[in-house]
Amino acid sequence: MTVRANHRFQAAALVAAGLLLALPAVAQVDLGTEEQRAAGKVVYDKYCGQCHGDTGDGNGYVTPRVQPKPRDFTTGKYKFRTTPNGMLPTDDDLRRIIEIGAPYTSMPGWPNLTAAEIQNVIYYIKSFSPDFENPDRYGEPIDIPRPLESTEESIARGRVVYEEQGCANCHGDQGRGDGNSAPTLVDDAGDHIKAADLTQRWTYRGGPTKEDIYRTFSTGLNGTPMPSYADSLEVEDRQHLVNYVYSLGEADDPNYGTLITAAWTEEAIDLQDTEALDTQFETAPMTRFPLVGQISEPGRNFYPSVTSIEAQAIYNRGEIAFRVRWHDLRADNSGKNSPYLEVPMWDEDNDIVASGDEGGDDGGFFGIEEEPADDAGFFGVEEVEPQDDSSFFGVETVDDSAGDFFGTGDDFFGTGDATSDGAEFSDAVALQFPASLAPEGQPELKPYFLFGDAQNPVDLWFVNLTHGVADTFRGRGSEAIEPTEADIVEAVTSYDQGEWTVTYKRRRASRAGVSFAEQQYTPIAFSVWDGFNRERGNKRSLSSWFYVYTEPSVQQTATIPMLRAALIVLAIELLIVFLVRRRASQGKAGEESASHGLAGTEAPAV
Amino acid sequence: MSAINLPLVLALLAAAGLMVWRRANTFTWLLFTWLSLWAFFKFGLTVPIPQSVVTIYVGIMTLAVVSYASSSRERLSETVQPIVRLIVEPRFRLLLAALLIGLPALAAYNVYADMSAPLEAPGFGREIHPAPPPEITVHDETVNMTTADNPYLHLHEDDPAAWEEHLESGRRVYYENCFWCHGDGMGGDGMFAHGLNPVPSNFNDVGTLPALQSSFVHWRIAKGGPGLPDGGTPWDSAMPAWEKFLTTEEMWDVNLFIYEFNDFEPRALGQH
Repeated sequence: MTVRANHRFQAAALVAAGLLLALPAVAQVDLGTEEQRAAGKVVYDKYCGQCHGDTGDGNGYVTPRVQPKPRDFTTGKYKFRTTPNGMLPTDDDLRRIIEIGAPYTSMPGWPNLTAAEIQNVIYYIKSFSPDFENPDRYGEPIDIPRPLESTEESIARGRVVYEEQGCANCHGDQGRGDGNSAPTLVDDAGDHIKAADLTQRWTYRGGPTKEDIYRTFSTGLNGTPMPSYADSLEVEDRQHLVNYVYSLGEADDPNYGTLITAAWTEEAIDLQDTEALDTQFETAPMTRFPLVGQISEPGRNFYPSVTSIEAQAIYNRGEIAFRVRWHDLRADNSGKNSPYLEVPMWDEDNDIVASGDEGGDDGGFFGIEEEPADDAGFFGVEEVEPQDDSSFFGVETVDDSAGDFFGTGDDFFGTGDATSDGAEFSDAVALQFPASLAPEGQPELKPYFLFGDAQNPVDLWFVNLTHGVADTFRGRGSEAIEPTEADIVEAVTSYDQGEWTVTYKRRRASRAGVSFAEQQYTPIAFSVWDGFNRERGNKRSLSSWFYVYTEPSVQQTATIPMLRAALIVLAIELLIVFLVRRRASQGKAGEESASHGLAGTEAPAV
Repeated sequence: MSAINLPLVLALLAAAGLMVWRRANTFTWLLFTWLSLWAFFKFGLTVPIPQSVVTIYVGIMTLAVVSYASSSRERLSETVQPIVRLIVEPRFRLLLAALLIGLPALAAYNVYADMSAPLEAPGFGREIHPAPPPEITVHDETVNMTTADNPYLHLHEDDPAAWEEHLESGRRVYYENCFWCHGDGMGGDGMFAHGLNPVPSNFNDVGTLPALQSSFVHWRIAKGGPGLPDGGTPWDSAMPAWEKFLTTEEMWDVNLFIYEFNDFEPRALGQH
């Protein structure tokens, strides 16, 4: 008996052990029922197939026109996972992305889908790759510890880790996505992929929270150059790194604004005096504006590089100055650019990495010759910040005779100095204003925000960062842009650690264009061109119309108007009390049953 | 997605019920009416209304309350009585003093808040669905806005295979051209929508596509922002004039597709 019992025990133990081993994997392989997958297919065909392809191969209608490309579900490779590098995502990982999407990509969140619909579509998506049938491809989700307190020491330690691990190689020393190898990064499909701009948390594809950041460098983004640091970094160091990365951004939200308030200054505005200029701009509020691709007209820019721009303004008695800033993964300052460079309807093979060797295929100027650079010496001043020789500073003024800009594509790969080899097209920026404002009291008819229209032209303050000087253009629509010289606009430019800064100055009064009167709302719009992304002409990032408001030069204090309001109200109150009381005493004197007669000033004393 | 702030409305109704129960006097009723309407216009609607419009509403209802109160001598005295008692009767002295100080303070605060409010860009009224011209010309073809209809609509009954083809063509056109602004799910929330003003049209909205004839939608697709009358602020609209890039057939296909995707039908011809 004991022997048999022993055998039974052994058998049971074996089964139990087998179950224990098999259970985690068995539990994870959950491919749903046939009905669930069929229900998932209905949802998928309606909402997902146009991007991810009706057969899940990532090849839908939009695929040629978006960057990064829609996921190819047949590969079983997923970027955003809680599972170790190379493993399949959990259902929760997939659910998370379906529910909230990946910001600043073509993957939106789908809040309209029910939990059941999402679960069904997950089952259907998993059916595209045989990997999901293989228990070996499943990994245990990692533990995401509670974030450490963000102390100065923790952030400092995170910075050390950031440097030791070479994060700056891609993300840049200041985290602006401008590392030396940033221009060379490609994903598994061979498409260029941007290193995240760590200072703009709202653009993180995997989410902006500390947990999201921890997850990203603990599990890596499969199929991209972003590796997992699970093996090379202790948990605690990863937590410090989280705190450092988090400290690079100011907010989870971009807090886009609609108005620049131009601050008044008594002092002269001198573009050459960098230090004084910086101090003056420190007093001016900064507003961030959203930029999107120009897709309404030929030159359609489906995946613009630059998604926002920060702007400030100051003004004094005679002049107004604007400062704009944006992040760019490298300074393209040896190519050509102008608002009227010819562009095809859209760049069908926008092979960005190999862009350098496509020199002469299409991008010639049409018609108008570019402004001669003769005035460059007059106001083209380079802001030089000689503090770090590995980065580029100042703007090289390059003679615009052709030839320099046709670099060979291979130059970018692995070269340490991302700025030396030029793309064919240079970075550029433009402020846009209406050429005139509606007279006082007339309804405001603005020019068409895409470079104006025939009836209502716009003025462009355009800076090609190859030259670093401002050229002025008058636009009567995208196909009718001409250089003007009515107003002299000065500009200084600088590129520092992934950030362009362009400061403009003009006289407030203008005979030909818009004048900036005190306390005036003036429409303003922005355009940015990234040469690396082959943006030129009408292929650009742009904004809608916003406003710049020149704040009063004499700030009114609220005390006197407040006192006045209070005294007026008090006087009215006392008058009423006085009148009512007088009438009441008269009423009492005249009649006993006064309570009705008292009412109101009109009522006769009965 | 309700347009009304329900908790507020319920609270106001509850307060009204309480006042009926306690038999509030005329003055309290008028004060309540004024305050609750003000609160409703200010906070009760989740769809933002321009401040200037709220001011007009509040002005109109103030006039209404005043003219109700003064419509007869009895009502006027009924209304004013509580005020008079407050001013005359000694037992209210403390309350009166508080009011005498409180109201000017409130006025002063109001001035302060006004002056220190963050500046906002000037807003503009815009006609959402401006009246279309009587007829438009698209690719040398005249389209009468009152009588034209989607030429492929009938295929749903007559030729389901051809219908599917036109729908698929519309799907292709939509996702090659439209989703950046109008969104993958057509909620007007595409990846570029946040940078545009006015925001792109939301096709999920029951007040948009079903309220429009397909000819109106055709007009908007073909002529885009530049084809809007001034009241529609054409200078701000990022909607391209698609006749420049798409064939007439493609434009009717995508027209078909956006209705079908949302399970809507165009407003029938001649329906007003």
